[in-house]
Amino acid sequence: MNKDKDAIIKVRNLKKYFPVKKGFLKRKVQYVKAVDDISFDIKKGETFGLVGESGCGKTTTGRTIIRLYDVTDGDVIFDGTNISNMKEKDLSSFRKRVQMIFQDPFASLNSRMTVGDIVGEPLDIHKLASGKERQERIYYLLKTVGLSKEHASRYPHEFSGGQRQRIGIARALAVDPDFIICDEPISALDVSIQAQVVNMLEDLQKELGLTYLFIAHDLSMVRHISDRIAVMYLGKIVEVAKSEELYKNPTHPYTKALLSAIPIPDPDVTHKRESVTLEGEVPSPINPPKGCTFRTRCKYAFETCKNKEPSMKNLGGDHTVACHLLDNKK
Amino acid sequence: MSNSKVNMDSIPEDMWEKIDNKEKESDLISRPSLTYFQDAWRRLRRNIMSMIGLVIIIILILTAIFGPFFSKYNFSDQSLKMASLPPRLELFKIDNENYIYLANGLKIYSSTSNGEIINLLNPIKQDFQKKIKVYKLNGKEIVLDFSDKPFKLLNENGNEYPFYKKVWNKNHLLGTDDLGRDLLIRIIYGARISLLIAFVATLVNFFIGVLYGGISGYAGGRVDNIMMRIVDIISTVPLMLYVILLMVVLKPGLKPIIIALGSVFWVRMARIVRGQILSLKEQEFVMAARTIGATNLRILVRHLLPNAMGPIIVSMTMMIPTAIFTEAFLSFIGLGVPAPLASWGTLCNNALGGYRSYPYQLFLPSLAICITMLAFNFLGDGLRDALDPKLRK
Ligand SMILES: Nc1ncnc2c1ncn2[C@@H]1O[C@H](COP(=O)(O)OP(=O)(O)OP(=O)(O)O)[C@@H](O)[C@H]1O
Ligand code: SF4
Ligand SMILES: [Mg+2]
Repeated sequence: MNKDKDAIIKVRNLKKYFPVKKGFLKRKVQYVKAVDDISFDIKKGETFGLVGESGCGKTTTGRTIIRLYDVTDGDVIFDGTNISNMKEKDLSSFRKRVQMIFQDPFASLNSRMTVGDIVGEPLDIHKLASGKERQERIYYLLKTVGLSKEHASRYPHEFSGGQRQRIGIARALAVDPDFIICDEPISALDVSIQAQVVNMLEDLQKELGLTYLFIAHDLSMVRHISDRIAVMYLGKIVEVAKSEELYKNPTHPYTKALLSAIPIPDPDVTHKRESVTLEGEVPSPINPPKGCTFRTRCKYAFETCKNKEPSMKNLGGDHTVACHLLDNKK
Repeated sequence: MSNSKVNMDSIPEDMWEKIDNKEKESDLISRPSLTYFQDAWRRLRRNIMSMIGLVIIIILILTAIFGPFFSKYNFSDQSLKMASLPPRLELFKIDNENYIYLANGLKIYSSTSNGEIINLLNPIKQDFQKKIKVYKLNGKEIVLDFSDKPFKLLNENGNEYPFYKKVWNKNHLLGTDDLGRDLLIRIIYGARISLLIAFVATLVNFFIGVLYGGISGYAGGRVDNIMMRIVDIISTVPLMLYVILLMVVLKPGLKPIIIALGSVFWVRMARIVRGQILSLKEQEFVMAARTIGATNLRILVRHLLPNAMGPIIVSMTMMIPTAIFTEAFLSFIGLGVPAPLASWGTLCNNALGGYRSYPYQLFLPSLAICITMLAFNFLGDGLRDALDPKLRK
């Protein structure tokens, strides 16, 4: 039982910078600091939410963890193994255990392959099944995600967005993974279908004992599905807390702002919450503000925020926040 | 009686039934499953111009392959007596059995009434002072008076033989060239050579271009940069100049032309493929392929290239007419296939000397070039529309 609470993945000081070339002859190299020094653990069997405005680096975080991008710096330790610097050919067993569900159901399926081949490709690559067994496995996977075996011979363009997302989920399940990164899996879907897909993901988690990293751009989406939530701003994690705790007691000014943007039907909570609105633009990740990256939009900003980057402080009960306001309270 | 409108309230409560969720979700698709290419073909079929192009191309290919089996002539059979006979003959009537065709160069052929040339007649007497030639056909004397234009054909009494009518040349449907070779069979052989060169050159371009562009686009970064700079350098050299120089070095022939065309045209293809791959490789389905552990080769072959196939096919179709034209041009300026082989360009070149007297010798092969290029261009245009995924419904 205790083992279940172990971290399946540990992210330590992860950085991902994208070089952008500028100037005459493209000599001057600058970096987009898409992910800048983030750390978190995800425990076995839990759903870890990652929220933040568009462009704050959520997708980059997910893709770097799954090694679609090379790690600029830092470590990703999956089940005790540091995979951050592994060569692609050594990643084979990692690829069998970690999968990803993508945001755009129209771009994430190869339109020249049948649904059966899309779902069956992981089986071919990892030589998990062939011939009749492969066929059976494909039918089984399609059934698991609520499609039927007649769909196997069809092409992706014949399906609706929700159905396509199910196909993507079936593909991710084909290798029987432990950990799945869901990169805004429902944000491109109709509201009526979002619930269906989320429910299915939850059912699958229970059935197969999956661990999720669930990425979303607004808090209302991750609230129900996540056990813990990390809030990201401009490449950095600013607050991590249990789902409930984050809603009841948001501490970072940015989290407060995000929360006040979503209406909550409970009058008690609304009453207690200060209304904070986000003003101004997100600064460029090429030249993030010195000190606290949020200070350009923070209404509590004071002198220290300009000079010193706030570090993560533990408020107890798994609630960590990076904000100078907390230094003063002590 | 309006049966169709039922008052919703009048339906008793217990008749309502909840649709069970399963039924809703697996809304079975009734449309037949179409692959990408079946779908493209469906759209191509609706485009009349490109279907005309396709039919012409098919006829052309069939004729090029099987045409020679149905002809009694060979492309190299010479018959100087029958040189430069046009497709249309103007016949003069001698009597009911015997007709005469008066050719350019003061030559007289005996013919049947429907245009079958029998023989070239030899004069029995000629007098260049009076500017007359005298022939004998079936015991009848024919005097050709070329003192004044139009030339006259007179009988022994000095009366003109009457003009009969214009008929098709039955021996040589499209006439003969200056060495008496059948023009039709030479054009058919020309089609063989032109199409062969075009297809092989295009295929070579396809392989080099797709491989080069594919690697460049997929590798990206510095490799891509270097590979594309090389392409830039090659493409700044004027193609024709390069091909001509190459042909001079390699000596004219079938193989050198293919090498010359094949080594030059791939540049365009490489650019197209690279552009496609570059934009495709950032798409999520490629990301998905990498997360399931697909190798680079597999991603390139199974995911990227099939998705770039549309533009590749279109540009191949568009490349064929360019190759045909380049080959014709090279042959025309004397760098083409050596005699007695003939491509359309060589035929045009040969005809150049006598094009005033025998315009059909220049016109017919040119027409073949035009029709072929147009047909491929029509087809290419249609394919571009049909294979464009943005139009997919
Ligand atoms: N391949 C890349 N090259 C250069 N810059 C990149 C690349 N991918 C992402 N970025 C930049 O990194 C930053 C973070 O992007 P990312 O896609 O991770 O954001 P996100 O939080 O997922 O946003 P969204 O909610 O829109 O999906 C953005 O400023 C983006 O422009
Ligand atoms: S550190 Fe300062 S600027 Fe940053 S969030 Fe806290 S109060 Fe605002
Ligand atoms: Mg994203």
